[in-house]
Amino acid sequence: MINAYIILFGLTMLYLSTTSRLKAHIRMLIAQGILLFLICTTSFSHCTGGLIAFLTVETLLVKAILIPWFLYKVLNKTHSNRDTDANIAHFYCLLISSVILFLGFLFSTIHIPSLSMINPMCFSIALSTIIISLWLITIKHKVLSNVIEFITMENGIFLLSLSVAKEMPILVNIGVLLDVFIAIYILGLFVSEINSEFNDLEVTHLSDLKDCEYDD
Amino acid sequence: MINLVLILPLIFCIVLFFAKNKTLNNILIVLYALVHSALGVCYLINPQIIQNNQYFELNSTNLIFYLVLSVVYLAVSVYNIGYSRNLSLKFNNGKMALYSMMTLAFVLSMTGAILADNLGLSWIFIEGTTLASAYLIYFNKTKHSIEAAWKYVFICSIGIALAFVGIILLTIATGNLNSLNYNDLINNASSFSHFWLNVSFVFILFGIGTKMGLAPVHFWLPDAHSQAPSPISALLSATLLNCAFLMILNMYRVLISANCLAYARIMLLLMGFLSLFITSVFLYRITNYKRMLAYSSIENMGILAIATALGGLAYYALFIHLIAHSLIKASFFLTSGNILELFETKRIKSSRALGQIDRKTAWLWVICFLGICAFPPSALFISEFLIVKTFLMQEHYILCALFLILLTIILYALAKVVIKMVFGEKSQEKYELAKQNIKKITISMYLPQGIMLTIAFILGIYIPKFVDIIIRNSIFY
Repeated sequence: MINAYIILFGLTMLYLSTTSRLKAHIRMLIAQGILLFLICTTSFSHCTGGLIAFLTVETLLVKAILIPWFLYKVLNKTHSNRDTDANIAHFYCLLISSVILFLGFLFSTIHIPSLSMINPMCFSIALSTIIISLWLITIKHKVLSNVIEFITMENGIFLLSLSVAKEMPILVNIGVLLDVFIAIYILGLFVSEINSEFNDLEVTHLSDLKDCEYDD
Repeated sequence: MINLVLILPLIFCIVLFFAKNKTLNNILIVLYALVHSALGVCYLINPQIIQNNQYFELNSTNLIFYLVLSVVYLAVSVYNIGYSRNLSLKFNNGKMALYSMMTLAFVLSMTGAILADNLGLSWIFIEGTTLASAYLIYFNKTKHSIEAAWKYVFICSIGIALAFVGIILLTIATGNLNSLNYNDLINNASSFSHFWLNVSFVFILFGIGTKMGLAPVHFWLPDAHSQAPSPISALLSATLLNCAFLMILNMYRVLISANCLAYARIMLLLMGFLSLFITSVFLYRITNYKRMLAYSSIENMGILAIATALGGLAYYALFIHLIAHSLIKASFFLTSGNILELFETKRIKSSRALGQIDRKTAWLWVICFLGICAFPPSALFISEFLIVKTFLMQEHYILCALFLILLTIILYALAKVVIKMVFGEKSQEKYELAKQNIKKITISMYLPQGIMLTIAFILGIYIPKFVDIIIRNSIFY
């Protein structure tokens, strides 16, 4: 069952790389949050009760409800629903993401003795998610979609930490939470600041600082 | 006492939040700087006085980093008295209180990152430094500062997230050990899986290297350092980069104990030389003097990475370089703050004839330059000399030549700018503006640089016994 959730999680990344509507991106974030919650509840047989409670509540509350709600708010405030001018056409985008995901699957089928401590499916999909997110960040032009990709990367890292079959120190969980805090708080605030200062959320406006002559 | 240093700034922040008083801002910032240095002095007198708690400890490894932070922060807090007086002419009390609160939070998170004895905890505090300093970079609320802060937050967050991946991979490498405490890691390192240890080091090096400003992941650094208010630039360059470096160094110690250094050394050498190369290329046609200093920081971080990779004698050079670079670079940035107050621009072309306008600032600017370029008796001369010696002892002749060539190009580029700014022809309009602004610069904006430079130059001639002992204790053979 858990593998089905993980595969679904990987597929959300494919959808993210094909659509340009930011609302759909946020919906996918909700889906990822719920899937992570399900993976959390099914995969933790080796942990203590308190830790599971903390992790599950944190994922459901923060990843599936709080962040998407916050992003919706920013989206409504800035009225920019589409990220049209990606550097690469959607078809190729889908193709490359699929290849990365497929390589992840292939990796999970290879049996390596030193990998006995990790869940291979979870590990490889998490790695593919991180790579796809990083790659999407480089080709998207809207600040908000960069933020969304950053959060999917965080989700990927979270999945990676779930793939290690040993009890993580509680500090690591606090770390994940802090990252999420960065994502919504600072990035969210900056998005609205950038929007009010530049009247638009294009990353291309943010290229004034450079090493040749500029007025400062 | 450690608890006091970590809790005091939080109390001060609450007081500042409610008081919103300009004088109180400065008093509390200086007071915290004094308490901060008091802890270091107490440790020097008798290490037993300091009660380490479960998560934070002051020990021989992080003592140098802590002392450097204390001294630089004390100097910056004194400089800040004059600087914030000029700043408060532009901004209201609420904003100035926020500035001071964020400065305290920034120093607190750096202190936490240095004192933490646990990889996870250092990571959290490094993340905290991003949160606190992002606001400070964005303080002027211009288009440029938004851009710089955005790049800073975004690039550093991604870097730190990658470092987190490194920590997760490290937990795979550690096998049955369920702890991220540095001592536990070092003591059990021999049983770790070498493959996973190497992979995790690559992630941590790239992730935290982003924060440290190593090329090729340095892109945020020139923007952020040039846009932040000058005291903050000084803190960013002279202390924040060190905090990130300490984390890499601690991880490197684990690798030493595990006896798998080959890849790590190559990575560090590669990033170090790339940093030197990038600096020499970009400095050559630099147009903005604060960016120039930022690139120079990248260069020096590169030198630290190279010294770490070389090992042996270079470890001693590493710590001398760290101390001297922090002191000199902080003075350099603070002096650049004076120049910015005078000319109201960061362009090199428009800020000339400094020698005719403000002799003290001009002298500081020249001495800072001599210090950073490792002119004897600057302590950087000793460190760079020892690094070159290590290169020759280990028979890396080509690398040694490359190192010297790149340093010479950087020296030439810096010298060109500094000479142009101090002795260049004046433009009448800027000259009159600067003459009017000269009253803005108070004695507290010269003194800290003078003291830090004196220390850096004295260290080049004579290294006191206690400094020598501290450095020898920090070295890990």
